[in-house]
Amino acid sequence: MFKKWLKDLHWPLIIAMLALSALGILFIYSSSYRDPGEFQLRQLFWAGIGFAIFFLMPLLGYRTFLSSSYLLYAISLVLLLWVDIAGHTRLGAQRWIGIGPFVIQPSEFAKLSTVLALANFLGSHHSWEKENRIILGAIAMTMVPMFLIMKQPDLGSSLLFVPILVVLLLLWGIRYRYLISAVILGAVAAPFLWVFLKEYQKKRILVFLNPQMDPLGSGYTAIQSKIAVGSGGFWGKGFMQGTQSQLNFVPEHHTDFIFCVLGEEWGFLGAVLLLFLYGYLFHALFQILTHTTDFKAKLLTAGILSVIFAQVFINIGMTIGMMPIAGLPLPFVSYGGSSFVSISIALGLALSVHKERSIF
Amino acid sequence: MRFIIFRIGIYLGLGILMSGLFYTQVIQGSYYHTLGDKNRIRLIPLEAPRGRVFDRQGKLLATNRAAYDLVVTPEDMDKETIPSLARILDLSEKEIRERLKAPREYPFAPAVVQEDVTRELAFLVEEHRPELSGVEILVSGLRNYPQGTTGSHVIGFIGKINREEYLKTRDNQDQFGLNSTIGRAGIEKLFDSELRGWRGGKQIEVNSRGKMIRVLSERDPEPGRDMTVTLDLSLQQKVMELLGDKNGSVMMLDLATEELLVMASKPAFDPNFFVSPSAASERLAYLNDKASPLLDRGVSSAYPPGSVFKLITALAALDTDKINANSHFFCSGQYRLTPNSIPRKCWFARGHGSVSIYQAIERSCNVFFYNVGKKLSADQISDYSHRFGLGEIVPIEATNISAGLVPNSAWKKKQFKEKWYQGETLSFAIGQSYLLTSPLQILRMTAIIAKDGLWVEPHLVRNAKEKRIPDRRVDIKKEYLQILKKGMIQVVQSNYGTGQLARVDFGEMAAKTGTAQAPPKVAHAWMTGYFPADDPKVAFTVFVEHGGSGGIASAGIVKGMLQQWEETYVQKVA
Repeated sequence: MFKKWLKDLHWPLIIAMLALSALGILFIYSSSYRDPGEFQLRQLFWAGIGFAIFFLMPLLGYRTFLSSSYLLYAISLVLLLWVDIAGHTRLGAQRWIGIGPFVIQPSEFAKLSTVLALANFLGSHHSWEKENRIILGAIAMTMVPMFLIMKQPDLGSSLLFVPILVVLLLLWGIRYRYLISAVILGAVAAPFLWVFLKEYQKKRILVFLNPQMDPLGSGYTAIQSKIAVGSGGFWGKGFMQGTQSQLNFVPEHHTDFIFCVLGEEWGFLGAVLLLFLYGYLFHALFQILTHTTDFKAKLLTAGILSVIFAQVFINIGMTIGMMPIAGLPLPFVSYGGSSFVSISIALGLALSVHKERSIF
Repeated sequence: MRFIIFRIGIYLGLGILMSGLFYTQVIQGSYYHTLGDKNRIRLIPLEAPRGRVFDRQGKLLATNRAAYDLVVTPEDMDKETIPSLARILDLSEKEIRERLKAPREYPFAPAVVQEDVTRELAFLVEEHRPELSGVEILVSGLRNYPQGTTGSHVIGFIGKINREEYLKTRDNQDQFGLNSTIGRAGIEKLFDSELRGWRGGKQIEVNSRGKMIRVLSERDPEPGRDMTVTLDLSLQQKVMELLGDKNGSVMMLDLATEELLVMASKPAFDPNFFVSPSAASERLAYLNDKASPLLDRGVSSAYPPGSVFKLITALAALDTDKINANSHFFCSGQYRLTPNSIPRKCWFARGHGSVSIYQAIERSCNVFFYNVGKKLSADQISDYSHRFGLGEIVPIEATNISAGLVPNSAWKKKQFKEKWYQGETLSFAIGQSYLLTSPLQILRMTAIIAKDGLWVEPHLVRNAKEKRIPDRRVDIKKEYLQILKKGMIQVVQSNYGTGQLARVDFGEMAAKTGTAQAPPKVAHAWMTGYFPADDPKVAFTVFVEHGGSGGIASAGIVKGMLQQWEETYVQKVA
């Protein structure tokens, strides 16, 4: 029994997860040991919960989730509407709901349920039947939660839906010229979406394009985080020896900007190590994806992979000025229970895909 | 195939990140290292100059002047800084250390040690720069009110933002900073968002000693919008002079535009004391002063109107057919409600004899209005008061607007659990009992009468009169207003009139005086009216707190004010 369980585990996935969370807790400690709150212990607690869920997911099996994906999707939309109405206002944005002593961030769960629903929807139809309708349906399914999250306002999280949609459509078999015209259409439509953005979101984008514009606000954050990462150099300043991120020049240094701490204290070597670990995680997911015969499971795994990748890319990219400043956590590394648990659920699904890779 | 494209895309993305990091950390690493060394990038917020306030003639009421602030960047100090600074400023070292602990908006932002230092001190500090590492003199804009106490209640004042307000406005970094000011009263408070501009800032690179090497990026602050109020400064000054050391409120309204030309209240305060960092003791004195100089007596306070209110009583009686233009009552100098009740006196002990409504207004006969009051109920008088805006907030660009108090039987029941007595109706009819009105409400009532029943909404800011309900009328017959107006002309123009001291030689005036009992002190003196009587251009209300007789204390102010108005608005135009 136990042997069977062990056999079903996917070790590269587990190793990557463990290493990333350990790195996260280490740098949460380094960045916040001066502040009250024992953030590293709280993160340890969340990691425990996350891992427990991860190992339990195969018991339910990803098929259960796929078959109830539309229901989960509907629930997450209701939750999003609820934050809109009753959510706590934190840092000027409505992103949390309190349930008893817990606060949850519905956008995290909306991401996952949208991936599930899209995988289920696209996986149930072949690309040669009624292609146009399916594509339009998939676009609509993505746009609804995306719009609600953008309204919260949480531009960063809402933009994560774009790579999910693009990747899943690509893998599903959309005609290349459709995909290419969609990209062009998106570029054309972007100015129209502009009007839906909040003032500060517009500012962030403008500042990204021209950092000179706003020396006081996000331009300051942008340059300070760049200094923090850059000053780490090749070798880094040593663990807990960072000065930029430690001295509060960089805001949110244990959550969204935790990479600044790592980049400053462990330098380029540390950054390469982190990227290598993410690469290893992606490699593990690719393995799972290749070995399953279930097309829906392939799509599901690919969707999970693309969410995690997009978050990593935007988060690290923003600290070195390659991406605009967006409030996105670095998966498994940033402090935060909601993010950790929801990624654990996602990887738990992948683990379940691995376990049920062959049903013959 | 598609899965291979996807896989390649992901690894390519990681490759891009890695090369970006290589560029930032390895190639540019040493550059960022120097920048980060002692945090070489600093942020200097630049406060926006606040918009100025002008009077209707374009004279300055509020502006900004340059001030020198002595600031210190604690990270740049050396051992000598604090002792030397203590010597120069004549402060204890402990005090300076205390001031350096104040919260700062950004890391390495300079802390303000002393605001608005003298020029001499500023130069002295510049001379001693070598031994004062980290000390700087920054030029900032300080609010300045060149007219001092004149118009201070209208303009209001500003103050330093407090912690709570700062936290509330934190998302709006472009407008509010840790050291920003915010409107605290009057126009400064109500139009704060217009007057306040947009902050700018400079990101500078400094060397290891904290000296600027170059500006990395800069955004100029955008000054706030200038505003024009409807006051006429020279008229307002004249009125302040006429009030002398008496307390009270004087207002004058342009009837065509419904703009207030004068809105003066005494005692007044000097708003400069609220912005000058060194005037803490004066500020405290204002707050503790029993005469409450911060109170705008015209807007925020309410008093018994006395005989001025007889206008409303007369209208109520006319409109309910209790009296008509030919009604007469006999005044023997006193009046008894029933044969057994204590007699109420007319102010003229010998009695006015048989009086008509016109004479009753002209001579302000109490007995006539006691007779009228007996025919009316308190609720009827109350109803007509509300029709003319008494007991109602006057929507005007001011803070703490008083609604006054217009009683009725239901109010009394609720307040005192007692029924309304007819004796109280008699007092109510001559503007006493529980009735309280603000001078602004009396002014509006007068203006409505002058405009034959057209509704009036006084304003203090130009061009604010946009969303007015067009031609809203008070529900009253014009002929009754004509009766009132005829009586009001006699108040000033007749030799029996109570307001004849206000008479001017360039036209006929219509007015009503009031002497409101305010025991145990001397009565309040009122006079309200409009000019010229045949084609009203302005309405005015003068209220002198404990000024005695309305026909004496207030009439002189009315006359002086109108003479000045005539000089500026009639003679100069002609």
